[in-house]
Amino acid sequence: MLVMGEVQTGLLQNSGEISESACRQVLGLMAGETVRVSRRPIVHALSPERLTGVDCALPTASRSRIRGVGTVVTRCAVTGGRVAQGSTYVRVVRSETDRRLPWSHYLARPGVVEVLGKAKAADLAEGFTGDPAPGCLDLGAVSGRFLDLVQASPLLDRRAPFKMARTSLRWVAETGEPSIRFTLHTERERTLRLTHPGPFTPAVVDLCEDLALHDWLLTSLLVIVERARIGATPGAQAVARLAPAVDHLLHLWMPAARVEEWLTPFWESLERRPGFTRQWRSLVDRVRDQVAMNTLALLTAEAGRR
Amino acid sequence: MTPVHATFGEVTAERRIASVPLSHVSVELGHLYMEDFEAGPGRLREQFRRVAPWLATVRALWREQVPGGRARVSTCFLVDDYFSRFSTPAELVPMVLEAAAEQDLTIDYLARESACAQFEDPRSGRVELARLVEDRIVDDPPPGTDGSRPPVKETGWLCNGSRSPRTTPLQAMGKARPWEPPAQNAKRGHSIFVDVELWDEKGPRRTWSCPFLAAVWQLLRLGLLRSEGRVPLTPVAVDGDWPRDWDGLPALVRLNPQAAPFSAYTTLSVLSPRFLPVELAVRTILSQVAVDDEVLRQVAARSESEGIRLEEELVDRISYVFV
Repeated sequence: MLVMGEVQTGLLQNSGEISESACRQVLGLMAGETVRVSRRPIVHALSPERLTGVDCALPTASRSRIRGVGTVVTRCAVTGGRVAQGSTYVRVVRSETDRRLPWSHYLARPGVVEVLGKAKAADLAEGFTGDPAPGCLDLGAVSGRFLDLVQASPLLDRRAPFKMARTSLRWVAETGEPSIRFTLHTERERTLRLTHPGPFTPAVVDLCEDLALHDWLLTSLLVIVERARIGATPGAQAVARLAPAVDHLLHLWMPAARVEEWLTPFWESLERRPGFTRQWRSLVDRVRDQVAMNTLALLTAEAGRR
Repeated sequence: MTPVHATFGEVTAERRIASVPLSHVSVELGHLYMEDFEAGPGRLREQFRRVAPWLATVRALWREQVPGGRARVSTCFLVDDYFSRFSTPAELVPMVLEAAAEQDLTIDYLARESACAQFEDPRSGRVELARLVEDRIVDDPPPGTDGSRPPVKETGWLCNGSRSPRTTPLQAMGKARPWEPPAQNAKRGHSIFVDVELWDEKGPRRTWSCPFLAAVWQLLRLGLLRSEGRVPLTPVAVDGDWPRDWDGLPALVRLNPQAAPFSAYTTLSVLSPRFLPVELAVRTILSQVAVDDEVLRQVAARSESEGIRLEEELVDRISYVFV
């Protein structure tokens, strides 16, 4: 019927970026399973997948009670040794019976929740990206818990260079005429509706995680620039406040680096409107200009003293 | 210039899952505990005498099912060296083989039960199979489980439903809460609630329970376990004399050089009815173990290419004869 997921993104709770080998340990969420690491064009480490069993109401726009039973898949990722993500998704399908079956039936279909009774895909999609009622399937809580597990690793010193709230991206993917809709809700919440040609593959999850990552980077840079109060505080002070962005964020912008080719048009269309990279570049320029201006001011002051 | 199509790969970013050779059925001819050993070779002979006709039956059934009658049947025997250490391989193995031969039975593979907990692999060092399986447990969720809270766990226990709510002591609350029954999640009318102890810990040492190790044993026989993508336990032939110490014996020994593969699409265990509660516990555990998706697909593809339809749920691939 449809696939839905929620990605939570946050700053890794460590003073500096962590090494590839540390990533492997931090993300080792399951014995005997390897952490997958890719190094080009940016170091990206992906944990093994973990399942969580659920049996609960699914969110619906019509508020009709739809029961789903099955497992959801969670994985965590660390990008550039700096940004951590917890990502949970589930494929929703119609059940062939209207009663709950033995648990082994659901474990033979990992990452699938079966809907008992009648349900419309549109109702579920609207419900999930709208305002889900409490007591409904909570993928964000599952993602958050696994992300907490990563952040609690004894390898991390928990001295993050700046404070930044986690963001959450709730997404729904369906098969059909290609379209993408990215919506900002509150400061921390975003939703994504995606219609892609052909059947669902985990590459769609990669795309959603990549968008969530870049949205978090952009949001964080905006917050840091705002906190610097450029123009309202002395130049040196503003630059000091911008420093964490230079040290920890600016090099991480790699849109669509890990997105399969058939899905890159979705990223490209978001680049046209609203234009993530355009806004990012303008912010980066602003940060660099501030640093340059401040350097110039320091040099001028130095020359005056001589 | 025409566009160049570039492909770029990184080995560490890919997931590789080894495949394992598979028989049609793995038959467990027996499971030897200290008490059986102490009862003398008579007990063992009696066990093999009871098993022999069932092995013949299962062979015949698979021959009918497989084109050309080329059924691959392997037999195995498990010795407990985990809960109690008794005798030595040098003394015990020849005795077991002799008792089996008297009934015209061939034991293809012999395994040590402690290997289901952990063993030393000459290539990859210590392999903790029990931990591997423990991390793959996905709790059967009671209705109302929406993911907002972590699964309700009693450390070291696993059940098939919701436990009875705790009844508070009379003094603390003034009024005792009446008992409420536990409930099985997938009940049909009435519950059969099962709560299994997976392990206990005394100080730093964890002792895995017999059903838990038996669940690991079933997964090994079904060829469904991998460690870092590799097959964790492969049979080894023993050259020369049997060692005088259990630790000197490989975790899984191939006794018959012509044997069909150790792991199989299905398993059959011929057991005394006294193992019935243990096997109920094993099934309770196994119905909550999530086997790797890729491994499941591998096995399914292989069996289909042979024209064999496997049961989807792994507990349905396991059968028993209680005699």
